[in-house]
Amino acid sequence: MPDLPEHLRKPLVNLLLAAADDKLFLGHRNSEWTGLGPILEEDIAFSSLAQDDMAHAAALYELAGSIDGRSADELAFGRTPEQYRCAAIVEVPDEFDWATAIVRRFFCNHFDLLRLTRFSQSAWKPLSDLARRLVAEQQVHVQHVDDWMVRLGTGTPESHRRMQGAIDAIGPLATELFEPLDELKSLVDAGLYPGSDFTMYDQWTGAVQHVLGQSHLTVQFDIGSPDDRGGRRGVHTQYLAPMLEEMCEVYRLEPRAAW
Amino acid sequence: MMINRQAIFDVLRSIPDPEMPISIVDLGLIESVDVSGSAINVVALPTFVGCPALEMISRDIEMRLGRLPGVASVNVRWVNDPPWSVQRITDAGRAALREHGVTVPETGSRLEVHGAAGATVPLTVGAAAVPCPFCGSTKTHLDSPFGPTRCRMIYYCDACRNSFEHLKNV
Repeated sequence: MPDLPEHLRKPLVNLLLAAADDKLFLGHRNSEWTGLGPILEEDIAFSSLAQDDMAHAAALYELAGSIDGRSADELAFGRTPEQYRCAAIVEVPDEFDWATAIVRRFFCNHFDLLRLTRFSQSAWKPLSDLARRLVAEQQVHVQHVDDWMVRLGTGTPESHRRMQGAIDAIGPLATELFEPLDELKSLVDAGLYPGSDFTMYDQWTGAVQHVLGQSHLTVQFDIGSPDDRGGRRGVHTQYLAPMLEEMCEVYRLEPRAAW
Repeated sequence: MMINRQAIFDVLRSIPDPEMPISIVDLGLIESVDVSGSAINVVALPTFVGCPALEMISRDIEMRLGRLPGVASVNVRWVNDPPWSVQRITDAGRAALREHGVTVPETGSRLEVHGAAGATVPLTVGAAAVPCPFCGSTKTHLDSPFGPTRCRMIYYCDACRNSFEHLKNV
């Protein structure tokens, strides 16, 4: 990409990889529900959502690859675990607990909508063009998951108890989504990633708390400040390596195969 | 020999979308066609990012336009600017879709993001009444916000008891 200044390339690739990696593993975790959804409609929904997330990841990998010359497949499957930039919340298994699957999507989907919105305002046209499309699709995800938060949070005493339990268990991982990335300021200053993380954090907590309120659910953990667990720097949970192993099995047999 | 633009569009109008019973022109996928010498360059818009049908559509376009007399090469490029939206579907396309039990949202595109995500109101996906394509009744409800392809949802008509598909408003 000739129109990108040299010093901005690496940070931008890093930012795109963080976004793509979050989507790739969230999509993979959700694809595990295919055939096992609690009702037919949600079986279809989770399969479609997973397909969307994988497609979004692929498009973002392609964009990152257009900057540094790697292929989307290579970026998705050809890295070692410490080279991934995803947050822990997309790595942990949900143990096929529906409440956990919904709550995970809830925190991630709202974050992704805000991140993609910032992408859609980027001064780098290939990114803003793509992100405008992704935002429209992401809104469908947010509506779907908000709907389930309210339904289950206000459903029966048992559904409420299980949703609150899932929030207490997986919720604390959500703030790591905001862990600062290397050299992000240079991208913000250049207008490639306009806005600020602080504003985005406020918008996210506002959106999340708004829906939780409607769902009669609460967060018991400290939602007020980003966590620094290390996912954005390549420090991951024990769950990433085996998941990657499973996802890459076919790719590694013949990396140059045409699909 | 000059390549006839009318002939190109006739060919494009004869190519059906792999997942929808209308042509790729009526679906609004074709943004521009440029002829230079014996080469045809087609710019097309994906309905959904990474739609699995894109490669198939590219192949169809290349193969069928390649058969026109005087054509040496056909190139298909997918772009996101302008973004595709349901607004691009032609009236003929809408009528044909309705006949096949698929309805298209009439309201404007939702591509604009309104402020913080906190402004998103839950339960709105199926809030607006969607008239049944078979009997016209508005006594319909959203059965599934996802459907057989990524761009469709499933509705049910409480009057004539048929299910039908509705395109997502993106």
